This record gives sequence, C-alpha cells and structure tokens, in this order.
Amino acid sequence: MKNIRRCDGVAKLNGSIKFLDDYKMEDMLYGYLYYAKFDHGKLKGIKYPSGYDLNEFTIVNAQDIPGKNEVPEPECDQPFMAESEVLHFGQIMLGVAHANKDKLKIFCEAIEVEYEELPAITDIDECLDDENNAFGKVLEIDHRRNIKIESHWIKTHHIYRTPHQEHVYMETQGMLAYFKPESRVMNVIGTLQCPFFVKEAVEAIMGDNISDAIVEASEGIGGGFGGKEDFPNVIAGITALLAYKSGKPVKTVLDRADDILITTKRHPSRIEIVSYTDPDSQKIKSLRIDLRLDAGAYQTLSPVVLSRSVLHASGGYSIEDSYIMGRLFRSNTPPNGAFRGFGAPQAIYAIEAHLDRVAAHLNIDPYRLRQNNVLQIGAELPSSQKIREDHLAACLEKVVEISDYQKKNEEFKLWNKTHTDKRGIGLSLGLHGGGYTGNGENMLDSEVRILITADADIAIYVANTDMGQGAYTTLAQMVSEAIDHPISKTKVINPNTGKTPNSGPTVASRTIYIVGNLLRKLALQIKADLQFSDLSAYVKANADDFPLEFRTRFLPDPDIYFDDDTYQGVGYKDFSWAACVVEIYFHADTYEVEIKKCWNVMDVGQTVNPSIAMGQAHGGIIQGLAFGLSEFFYKKGFGRKQGLTDYTMMTSSDMPEIEVEFLYKDSLLPKGLGELPMDFPAPALRNAFYHATGIFIDELPLTPERIFQAMKDRG
Amino acid sequence: MEIKFSLNGNDVIVDVPPMKRLIDVLRDDFGLSGTKEGCGEGECGACSILLNGLPVTSCIMNAVHVIDKKVETVEYLAETELGKLLIDCFDEVNAVQCGFCFPGFVVAAYHYIKEKAEADEQEIKHALSGNICRCTGYVKVIDAVMLTCQRVKERGMR
Amino acid sequence: MNFYQPKNLSELFRYCEATDGKKYFLAGGSDINVQLKKKIITDGTVISINHLKELHGIQELDEEIVVGALTTFRELITSDIIAQYFPYFQTSLKQFGSPLLQNVATPGGNIANGSPTADAVPLLLVLNARIRILAKSKMHKLPLSDFYLGYKKFNMKPNEIIGSVHISKDAERDWQTFYRKIGSRKSLAIAKLSLAGMKRIENDKITAVKLAAGSLNEYPRRLKNTEAFLVDSNMPDEDNLRKILAEDITPISDMRSDKDYRFEVCYRLLSRFLRIE
Repeated sequence: MKNIRRCDGVAKLNGSIKFLDDYKMEDMLYGYLYYAKFDHGKLKGIKYPSGYDLNEFTIVNAQDIPGKNEVPEPECDQPFMAESEVLHFGQIMLGVAHANKDKLKIFCEAIEVEYEELPAITDIDECLDDENNAFGKVLEIDHRRNIKIESHWIKTHHIYRTPHQEHVYMETQGMLAYFKPESRVMNVIGTLQCPFFVKEAVEAIMGDNISDAIVEASEGIGGGFGGKEDFPNVIAGITALLAYKSGKPVKTVLDRADDILITTKRHPSRIEIVSYTDPDSQKIKSLRIDLRLDAGAYQTLSPVVLSRSVLHASGGYSIEDSYIMGRLFRSNTPPNGAFRGFGAPQAIYAIEAHLDRVAAHLNIDPYRLRQNNVLQIGAELPSSQKIREDHLAACLEKVVEISDYQKKNEEFKLWNKTHTDKRGIGLSLGLHGGGYTGNGENMLDSEVRILITADADIAIYVANTDMGQGAYTTLAQMVSEAIDHPISKTKVINPNTGKTPNSGPTVASRTIYIVGNLLRKLALQIKADLQFSDLSAYVKANADDFPLEFRTRFLPDPDIYFDDDTYQGVGYKDFSWAACVVEIYFHADTYEVEIKKCWNVMDVGQTVNPSIAMGQAHGGIIQGLAFGLSEFFYKKGFGRKQGLTDYTMMTSSDMPEIEVEFLYKDSLLPKGLGELPMDFPAPALRNAFYHATGIFIDELPLTPERIFQAMKDRG
Repeated sequence: MEIKFSLNGNDVIVDVPPMKRLIDVLRDDFGLSGTKEGCGEGECGACSILLNGLPVTSCIMNAVHVIDKKVETVEYLAETELGKLLIDCFDEVNAVQCGFCFPGFVVAAYHYIKEKAEADEQEIKHALSGNICRCTGYVKVIDAVMLTCQRVKERGMR
Repeated sequence: MNFYQPKNLSELFRYCEATDGKKYFLAGGSDINVQLKKKIITDGTVISINHLKELHGIQELDEEIVVGALTTFRELITSDIIAQYFPYFQTSLKQFGSPLLQNVATPGGNIANGSPTADAVPLLLVLNARIRILAKSKMHKLPLSDFYLGYKKFNMKPNEIIGSVHISKDAERDWQTFYRKIGSRKSLAIAKLSLAGMKRIENDKITAVKLAAGSLNEYPRRLKNTEAFLVDSNMPDEDNLRKILAEDITPISDMRSDKDYRFEVCYRLLSRFLRIE
C-alpha cells in the first residue's frame, strides 16, 4: 500500500499523451454516424443533397453489411444500422466518410430521410407506468417466508423514480479503423473499456470479409464511467465497414452534441416498495419491490443492469421476508447502458429513500432504524447469500461519528423552528458487489500474462484499460510489490487483442478486485517457482533463460454457486460497503439546496494506492451528488438536452466539502472500489432535504423547480 | 487569410480561412495536439490556451482573433519553470485521472498563479470554475494548485 | 459564409452600405461561434470588428464613464475606474459566464446578441446606461431601455453598430443596490432568472426605485409598472405586489426552468430587496 505516482500523470499534464483524436494516419478519412432525427418510423427512402459527387464519399448502410447486422451484447437485439424501421431517435442509419471533416459535416447535415411516422413512447413515466411496455426476461428473487403480517405492523408504500444520467466523459467517443488487405486483418484503435467486446463486434459486422480484428486501446482514454462499455461496439463496427469499403483508414470522433444525444445513458427507474415494519422491534419484517428500468428501444446489456439492480434492491439490510421483481421496459429512446453503479444507484436510492419514509412512519430516528436492520454476520440477503462480515455496521457508526450526525440532527431541528431557511442532515448506507454477478467471473475465464525480459523488465499483459481510474498504475504496483521489483521496471502493456490475453472487460469494479488479485497471485507464484529474493540479480545470473512468460487463468471459485433462474446463491463473493452523510442548507427564497458537506466511510478492503483510491472516491461522490441534485437529460414537453451548456454537472465553484475515510484498508484483499462512491450520496441528499423541510421528494433530481412544485402542492 | 502571430514564443504565419476555429489551427496546422476539444461550445475549458497571457477557450475563437497577439499552449507552458512546478504538484498528489481536461487546468491554473498565487481555496475554485472535470470531483485539483502556490512562495518564484 | 475585415470604422460602414445580405459582427466570438456550430447562423457575412481600437477602452469624462463596446468583462471587473464609480456593477459582473468567458465576452456583444438571458443588460438598465450607435456618417446616443423592440428586434439599423456604453458617474451614488442571478449552478450557468434593483429610502418610504429583470421577458427590461407602483407607496401587500409584477414579467417554461418557479422566485427576490432595513 503506497502512494506511488501515476505512470501516465506527466504525459497527461503536458498534453503529450495521445487520445483518439490525436491519432492521424496517411490518407485518413473522417467518419460520421448519420442518425435518425425522429422517434419511430418506417423508412421510405434517403435523399442525398444535390451539388455533391457522391463518389467522393464512402457511404455504408445496413445492406452493405457482409456479416451480421446485430451488435454482440448480452441480448443481441440491436442492429448496427437500421434496416426498414427506425425505433428510436439517434438510431444509426448510415456511416459516411470523407477526407474533409467540414465537407463531411455539411453533407451529412443536408441528408434527408423519408419515413412514415409511427407512434412513439418517449416520456419516461409513460414508459414505466404502463406494464404493457415490459419486455425481456422477468427477474424474480423470491425470499418469501410465509410470515403473518400483524395488524399493528406499519405499512409503508411508495414509488421512487430516478432519471437518465449522462456520463460526460470529457473525451467524446471515437474509433479509428484501417484494413490490411494482404492479411485481411481489420485494425481498430479506440477510446474504449473493453477491447475484446469491440473485437467481437467488428468480427460480427465484417463476417468472412476479414480474417481477424485486432483492437487496441488508444494511449489515453478520456473517461468512460461505463459509457464506453458497449456503444464503442457500434462505432467500431460501422467505422470498420467504412474502412473496408473505402480502402482507407477512417477515424470517427463524435461531436459532443451528438454524443449527448445518441449514446447510452443510465437507465431511468421506477421502483415501487411496500414494506411492513414492527414498531416494537423496529425491524422491517417484509419487503416487496417492483423494480422497473427503462431500457430504451433495445435490450442490449440491460438484462445485466437489471440483474445487478435487483440484487442490490434490498440494500444493506437484513429482512426476513422479501420478494423482488425486476423488469425492463421499452421506449422509443436510445438504448440505455452501463454507467458507474450499473443499476445499483437506482436500487439503493429507492431503498434508502424508503428507509427514511419508514422511520418517519415510526417516528424514529433514521439512524436508529438503520442500526436495527443493518446486515450483520450471518444475515441473509434475498438471494439467500449469507453475510460474512459486519463491516457495514462499522461504516455506519463511523460516518455518524465523523459527521457529528446526532448532534446536528437535533441542532438543525431546533434551528429550523425559528428560521425560514432550513438546515438538514441525511444518511444512507449500503453495499456494492465486486466483479461480475453470480457465475459471471467463472464464465469470463480471465487470463493474464506476465513477461520478464532479459533486462529484468516486467511487462504485464491484460485487456483492462485505464480510463482514468489508474488501472495501469495500480496493476503494475500490485505486481511490483508482490515480486518486490522496482515500479520503474514494471509496466502494463497497452491493451491490444493481438498481444494481450482476454482478462475480461473493464467494468463491474473488477479491474483490481479480479484482475489485480489474479496478477498478484501470479506474481507470488513466479517468485515461489523461481525462488529469488532479487529479481534483477536472478535474471542477470540466468540471462539465457529469459525472456520468460508466465500465465494464469481465473480459477472457477467453488464458493460461488448462483442459479440464474431462481437468483438464489452467491451473487458476489465480496461486497464493498459504505455509509454516507450529507449536510445541506436549504434557501427558502430560491428553493435551492446547497450541499455543505458530504462524508463517506467506505470499506473497499486494501487500498493499493491510497491517493488514487481517494481520487476515485472524490469523483464518484461528486457524480453521485450531482445525480441527486441537478443532472437530468430529458424533460417532459421539452425532449432531450442538446449539448453541454444545459447539462448541469458541478463546476469547481459548486463543489461541497468532502470527507472520505477508508476502513479496513490494511486488509489483505483489495475489493471493488470504482462504483461504490456513486451509490450513496443521492439518497443521503434526499434524506437531508426531508430532515430540513419535512417534505419527502421521491423523484430525482432535487431541482429547485421540483422542490417548489412539491411545496406548492403541499400548500 | 494570412494570420501572423506569436505562437509559443515564435513568430509564425499561417494561411487559413479567417473564421477557422483557433483550436483547429493549433491542432491541425501546427500539430499541437495538447489542446483538446471537450465540447466545442466554450462550456468545458478543455481547449484553454493563453491569449496575451489570459486563458480563453480556443474552440469558440477564430484565427482572425490572434493576429498580432501572443498565443501559448500547454506544450509551451509545461516547459516553463512555473509550468514544471505546477505539473509536478499535480503529479505529486495524483490529481490526474483520465487527463483529458488537464491541459486546460494547467493553462487556467498557470494564469491564476502568475496573477495571484494566493493559496486561497475560494479564489482558486473561482479561477478554475470555467474548467469542467468529470473524474476528480476537483478536490485534488484544488489541493495541487494550493500546493503550487505554497511552493511558489517558498521559492520566491512568480 | 463570407468574411470581411475592415481596417477602420469608415471602411466598415462603406462595406456595409455596399453589401447586401445578413451581416454578423464578430466581437469576442463566444456567441457567434456557438450559433455557427448549431446552424442558427447559416449564411451572410461575418464582419470582424474585434481589432477596431475605437471600440475598446474605458474612458473617464467629466460626467460619465465611457466603456467601449468591445471592452471585455474581465477588463471591466479589474478596472479601477469601474471599481471607483460602479462597485455594484463590477461585483455583479463577476457572475457572468466563467472566468474564461469573461476574458473574451463584451458588453457590446452581450447587448447586440439580444438574448433574453443576457447577464449585463439588467444591470445596465438600472444604471440608466445609454449606448452610442455608430453609423456611416453619424452617431447617436439612446437609452439602453429604448434599444430592444422585441425578441431579437433592435432599435438599430442593420448597417449600424454599438460603439460604446455610457454610464453617468453618479449612477450608483446614494442608491441601495441588489443583484441576484439564479442559475442551475454557480458558474457556466445561463440565468433562469435575474433581478437587478436600485432603491432610495426616506422616512421608511421608497422614494425612487429601478428594477430590471433578465430571462423573464423576450428581452431584458425595466419593470416599469412595478416601479411606478412602489414609489410613494409603503410596503405593498403581497397580493398587490404579485399582481403588479405579473404585468411586468412574462416567464416561460423551458428546458432550464418552469414558468411558475421563475415568477415565484422573482417575487421572493423582489420582496427581499424591498424590505426596509
């Protein structure tokens, strides 16, 4: 555990590292994804603008696809390009390429599409409130225990809603593809999280026209947050097709406005919770959850988001009798996808908002209610997985302590009696499972390799990309520390499907937890096998043996048993835990909520690089707070946001004070970290608002307009 | 149109359409790819450069705007004494994550330190409030600039 | 799109007179470049004026301060002259855009762009600012409050430009001032609404008041009915004040905010300002 400097820090700071748009190739064309500007319609024809020689442009449509017009996803229901029908605004219809960026833009903007308009569902509530819109597989976690609901138990029943959230990675999406006819290999460089996903997508669209697709991550990846988990498949596939047809390299970089309009977003949710609580024991005895996610027009990877969502829906509590149903709902909007948290922020928002509703019903402190119900050792989740550690309770106690929650709770109540402005403090807690759900890691079958050269340089071969979370630094650090070799001679090789093995995608908080631990295991194995104390000396003494390559695979874990139909078993071998407190000041005149401070106490196991871990926590917390306070993408009556101007993330002037503490950071095992900080600030914020004003708002974000309406309705 | 200006300490001339975006002139005509396009609307600060010493967003400026003026990009500032110190402080606290917005922060912070060098959190936050970062939550960015201000004072630099 | 760069003002006006079609004057570029990108402007001529020295600078005259139309907001915010005579104006301008935008944006651009959300205009209106309009062979001054005739409709001919903004040196003297801009965040925010106000109190009565709102009408304007109502009246009751305010502002609902919210918050801010302290 050490604060070594990032391996890529200086190159990023002085502007020398290459991001996708910094790559240039000779004879390169620029690519553009032409997309539909209407919500739903039957295609009649495409009219190209006059005054252009169409031969100057490379144009591809669904008919040009040599392979399959099907984007590889957990559910392969999305075409690369629309064939006869467009199912959502932003659906790609054509790929177009030209040597001149400006000419390409002007040409594409003038393309006209003839279509027959069909009815469309684009409003979130219209989608999620109507059960006829449900599609795909229904997930059920049935932990009902046939208990008798006593008449004096308190029933709490509410519906919680969350909106889209846009990633706003500072670098927009993009791909560069070039085809080598001699070898029939399609090469792709991209700003991406999952090189092997993209490889699969390019091979799917190109079919037998290529012998292989080699996908490489760009040197620098300007943020992902899940947004570059699956949409790159679409960009890469179409860009590859353009490269093939034109015989030239093609680089497609999305304009920010297009990126905001057409790429994946966090799933909007509608989560209805019914609970019964025994007022005497203050224990929640029964829980029923109807969880709905707006998947957009196609399922793509939504079934996996739904899976994580239902498994986190009961939050950090031990509830005897529970039943959770999860469904995807369809709408005529761009398919939604992965975003840090991946269904958990929605689920945890709902259960944490609900807990405060229950506390209010019982007229008890939300902290006490949580203390009485928090998961302890031996408790069972609705999936019947047994809890092995009581770290969550420790996080709760610690965050209450460092935030001075109890004192402020009383103090603010008193203060609010004599002031029109209000002060509030709110609490939340919960869990986040590390790695792929259930049998997922077994299925991924991750492989990692370590190469030691004759110069005693260690090269690490994995498929996981550094999108800012520090993967290249921390993975190298884990190996360097395990082997006890200088970090200056330990490097992660840039992920490249032609050179690095498939260690799985860079998602699900698995990069350190699964891949890093696998590397550490391999490193220790190497040390034990070769029996050295100083690697450099050993290599020198045995120079003829080197370079030497070592590899290992993820071993199917006997502890993991998970039934994909009943959703019973071990969903995640290791959970990370957290508790969060948010303090606010509510300005009565303007209905604005000012976040004063946010405390997070987290257990992510060993923090390999504390400063990098802290940076991750800060970033996730601010994203979580903004998710609760100000970010939304769609407004009824006004459609979708069109650019960065109105998508309100926080600027440095808006940032509240943040305090983060890691518990158990000296433990042996690093657990999942990336997504955990995202899950808890929004509900704590909403709960703080209730504490301040006595008004429950169940829908995010807590904009001043929403607050004004809620207060007006209340009278 | 012939655009004559000073770029990173050198007098240069380039023949481009007068309304060509400054960011495109820098990236395409001069190969200076350190300046990044985050939004194209002047709303994120990733494309910041110094124009006559003041930080501006180059994506909403045109070639004609720099005639007879002085332009400095991150590549140049990174090689100055203050730039090196600033970058070292950012690096020391591991402030950088994905790095895409950081050239813009280097430019804005460079200007702040040159002009004020006050280790005042509120002032620093305000000076950087035109630069958006999605990864860091700004905490370590502010820490790094504070640290730089302290070191500037200790070393008697400005 | 065509482009023209005049060497001086005379060349500018000669060109304008000789050329047909839409003309867009390029100042700092922060509005025009976004409009070009969004295809709000698609044809016509861009005329570069940012380099014309006649349009820059802050001058102190006997009775007034003259601000060249292309003075940047940063220059205004750091000017000693502005600090001396118009501290309220100077402090309020700090909320404009962001520090980066302040380095290139100008009051001339802000006024001429004609956005209902223009941040500088409500402030200039309560300061009774006048603008000097330049044309080929003449120039004339008019109160800024007479400049807007409707949404993006200006009391200025297509071949004229705003040359300077004029504010009387005593514009802030002996006035109690107020300015609030409500945005969705503290920087890089387009105003949901803004309220600028100046008042004089004598014997617990408002003897004079000037109010101007931004983002609440199709162009920023003085709340004339409310002003007339408030002068000489004691603290007006809530109902009457709401009624009269509704005659002066016509908030709408859009992606950024809601009609009712905008009205209510404007009312609240106004009430706060009117409280006799």
